[in-house]
Amino acid sequence: MSESLDALERRIAELRAEVRRAVKARDTALARHLRADLRRAERAWDEAVVADGADGDGPAAREPAATLMPVREQVHQALLLLGVPAAARLIVAVNGAFFSGALRGPQLSSLRRDEERSFRGAPYTRPYYLCAALTDRLSPARGLFADSTWPLRARVVGPLSPRVDFLSAAVRIAEHLTRLADPPPGAVRLLSRMAQNIPGAAETGFGPADPATVIAAARAELEVHLPADTAQRAEVAARAGEQLTDAERLFGAAALTTLRGAC
Amino acid sequence: MGGRQERPDGDWARTANRLEELRGPAPARPHDARAIAALAANPGCARRALLDAAGVDKDTAARHVGFPAPFGQSQFAITRGNAFETLVKENGCAELLRLLRGLLGLPIEQVGYQDVENVGAHLRASHTRALIDRAARETETAVFYDHPLLSLRIAGHTSYLEPDVVAFQLGGRFHVVEIKSFAVIDGQAEPDKVAAAARQAAVYVLALRTLMEELGHDPERVSHDVVLVCPENFANRPVATLVDVRRQLAVLRRQLARMTRVDRLLEGLPPGLTFSLDPDPDGVPTRSAEEVAQALRQVPARYAPDCLSTCDLCMFCRDEARACGSTDLLGRQVRDQLGGVSGMEEALGLAEGVREPGEGQEEIAHLLRQAERLRRECVA
Repeated sequence: MSESLDALERRIAELRAEVRRAVKARDTALARHLRADLRRAERAWDEAVVADGADGDGPAAREPAATLMPVREQVHQALLLLGVPAAARLIVAVNGAFFSGALRGPQLSSLRRDEERSFRGAPYTRPYYLCAALTDRLSPARGLFADSTWPLRARVVGPLSPRVDFLSAAVRIAEHLTRLADPPPGAVRLLSRMAQNIPGAAETGFGPADPATVIAAARAELEVHLPADTAQRAEVAARAGEQLTDAERLFGAAALTTLRGAC
Repeated sequence: MGGRQERPDGDWARTANRLEELRGPAPARPHDARAIAALAANPGCARRALLDAAGVDKDTAARHVGFPAPFGQSQFAITRGNAFETLVKENGCAELLRLLRGLLGLPIEQVGYQDVENVGAHLRASHTRALIDRAARETETAVFYDHPLLSLRIAGHTSYLEPDVVAFQLGGRFHVVEIKSFAVIDGQAEPDKVAAAARQAAVYVLALRTLMEELGHDPERVSHDVVLVCPENFANRPVATLVDVRRQLAVLRRQLARMTRVDRLLEGLPPGLTFSLDPDPDGVPTRSAEEVAQALRQVPARYAPDCLSTCDLCMFCRDEARACGSTDLLGRQVRDQLGGVSGMEEALGLAEGVREPGEGQEEIAHLLRQAERLRRECVA
């Protein structure tokens, strides 16, 4: 392999010298011809050098295969794993830890708007929509994504919900990790980072967290918050069910129109 | 700030007119927390107090007279600060919750989180008011208020301020949380930066206390201990400490009261004085730099080396202090020690024994001579 590379490098050097000579002699036709040859040789060298690297365990071999899934599918995949409304950063982190890792934060910025436009144009034509979580003012919660197939009470958030959702997400990620025979290191890191903020979950200090411990610790704290949060969510969900239209139930009402019912 | 109501309207109108005259046709510059905090950094400076009360754009003025300020925040620092803030606030302030459970002893049940930014920008201030009012009345309520918007009246203008987070504790106390991206290494952070953060947080505490007062609650329920969150050592892991800002609050109050009593500062000024740059329709200054500099020199400044990190006019004032050999250049501590000595030349004269100490200068002259003797010994 490297022999052909050497040969190509020699050829490229020769061609460069010939191009220089042709330019000096003002033979433009020959120079153009030689430049085309040079480009071909350089391309061949590029291909050969990549193939050479891929033979061993070069970095190219470890790159995850580029996914053909559209962005909304990837977001949906992450949301299914988490099972709770999640912020873009967490979705990107889960995608990077368990799935393709091709998702980038800015790709998500216009997603909710696109989904809303699609729903308002032709309602209920897609099997699911990526929608907003609703606040207690029934306005869309800033930056939170939810799945339209979830019941309304899972898509609204009260003051306690961010903590409850964080703990539930940690439980879901830990459960998913226990199911995997060979857990990806990125996912273990994600769980360890979350475990740092759950009391009793990170006994090993900064080391990798144990999924079973995380589940137990998160469930213990969840027990404290869950009844109050469920009640608050049910109340908001009931209000949303009565007051909002179909589209608003998914994507939230504009902040001004809900002033009546809120605080 | 309550002083405004006590004064007859005519007086206030006259003061406002005079301030407008000082500023010229340019719109008044609104204050942000950093600017208000900088006021408290040097309370003795009449020049700064007057320019701020009039809402003069100090940066443009300094640039025009040929002394542009050497600072401004780097884009990298802003990005770094924002990234760290997002990290601390991620997942409903999960990191912050861990820190405050240790620091303030928050019980496990207290985890509420309200993002004030969920309402439109135009409603944020009133929504913050409503949420804080509800928190002050009821005990079972949210703990973190993210992106709140507070307002503070400064010299007749309302300034809007955005603290990072306001935390509420079951005991009924509010804490201002300030997230900064400078590192705390081995329990130590740079004193300048901590002092700047404390001053800035004091502005938020004052605004929050004013709000509580307006709502009819006890303003003392806003704690004077602010929570400062910084990265620990060389990692990105946040650590929280309580910083007492009582002193900064007192200084700030005094400075703000001074701005409302600005008529006293105005009294000594020559009539017709203005700092206006006379901008043409495109905003390009037409007044000569020398004239503006002359106008600025009419108001006494109190230069200190700390001004270099807080005030836009610092280079101008430093140049002035250098020209007259003022002891201000040596820092506050040295200046205070050299109390009765008027300038650097006099101090040097006393040290070298060329000049006879005047009445009351014997002690400092003795000290200076001794210092000079030590210096000679070291150099030789």
